[in-house]
Amino acid sequence: MDPGLYIAAQGMLVEQNRQDQYANDLANASTPGYKSDRTTQADFGSLLLSNTSTGQPLGSIATGLRVSAVTTDMTPAGVNPTGQPLDFAVQGNGFFAVQTPQGVRYTRDGQFGASASGLLVDKLGNAVLSQTGAPISVKANGTVPAASLGVFNVTGATKQGNNLFAGTAAGQGAGSVVSGALEASSVDPVHTMVDMIASLRAYESGQKMISSIDETMQQSAQSVGAL
Amino acid sequence: MFNGLYAAASGMEAQQMQLDAVSNDLANVDTPGYQAEVLGFHDLLYTSPGPQNATNFATGAGSAADIVGRDQSAAQLQQTGQPLDVAVLGQGFLQVRRPDGTLGLTRNGTLELNANRQLTTSTGMLLTPPVTIPNSASSDKLTIAANGNVEVSGRVVGRIALVTVPNPNGLLDAGDSTFSASAASGAMRPATGATLQQGALLASNVNMATAMGEMIDAQRSYQMDSKAISMQDQMMQIANQIAK
Repeated sequence: MDPGLYIAAQGMLVEQNRQDQYANDLANASTPGYKSDRTTQADFGSLLLSNTSTGQPLGSIATGLRVSAVTTDMTPAGVNPTGQPLDFAVQGNGFFAVQTPQGVRYTRDGQFGASASGLLVDKLGNAVLSQTGAPISVKANGTVPAASLGVFNVTGATKQGNNLFAGTAAGQGAGSVVSGALEASSVDPVHTMVDMIASLRAYESGQKMISSIDETMQQSAQSVGAL
Repeated sequence: MFNGLYAAASGMEAQQMQLDAVSNDLANVDTPGYQAEVLGFHDLLYTSPGPQNATNFATGAGSAADIVGRDQSAAQLQQTGQPLDVAVLGQGFLQVRRPDGTLGLTRNGTLELNANRQLTTSTGMLLTPPVTIPNSASSDKLTIAANGNVEVSGRVVGRIALVTVPNPNGLLDAGDSTFSASAASGAMRPATGATLQQGALLASNVNMATAMGEMIDAQRSYQMDSKAISMQDQMMQIANQIAK
């Protein structure tokens, strides 16, 4: 069968995954500390075609493509003042650390609060950690000095949902903590809308490709047979 | 198939929450002591789309929003000149007893005297501990000191207690401008840093300009999420046209 049919179908599948990623980005346009994703694609490798009788190489042919990775753009986004005493943002690189039941997780979303026992916690009630990995107490006046929050460099950060990242801490992050502010989502809605349109049209081209290969095959089945 | 459809729909739901919160805030722009609602957005689970993709990439399921608490920023004071109006400055609440006997907290300091000459809120809930004003004293002779002492002609007749909780965001909204302590908020304790000011009321801390900005932001984000859904719809339509 014509490999082009399947290559075109794989291309459509990649665009579909990409479209899902854009939809997730757009849905998180208001999520503090959210980092937008990029879907990258790669080919499966190509086959070398050769003349069956002489063995002379004729050139290569692609065999298809796939999503190779969804990478997260960790570039720091803008910081918006909120006036809330327990809102924090990392200006520059680095993550806050929180102690979850599954282990230490990292986040750029500094929308914290106090627990019933007076500790600084995230929205799920996980304790926020200092640079030494200890929980932080909220003062009687309801504030926490920005300097008491730990900022960590994280390698291999992968998204876990609930604004948390899993990864390995690698020393203190370069960023500084500001209180009374939150980092905005890094999603640029206009850019994402444009990307969505481009992806939609690429998907449509894949469909047109399939249709035209189909027509070619129909021609060979009908016209060649009619001779 | 097309997880993005649901991701975008979850984004619309989250923005709807934001719109609801903003409308509630705008409706309470003149409610003394009202604190604006604060929403927390977060992303949802990331899952791998399926075995046909050999690599370990994952796409997200969208976003969700919850009300995480109340705006703790200071509100403006409205000078009313009424001797029975008090404003709570700093993080503190007046402690009241509801008709059903339970304790509540409020920042609405429009106080009144009931038939027994006890201080109550404008909805008739008694301050706790109760403060009784002697029959002889008219309310214009009454002074309320910063520490809560209620004095009539220089004589202390009672004290308005100020309380707070470790986590004000965990307070349950009980309506009538009152809150209840919960397991999440922690137990009530005396508010050390808070003071009272007589003859003034705390305004609502809803900022009209910020609220309008949030509303426009939420509406546009809602619109873009709906656009993402129609994109996915078009893609399904295109896929359906492969076999004519």
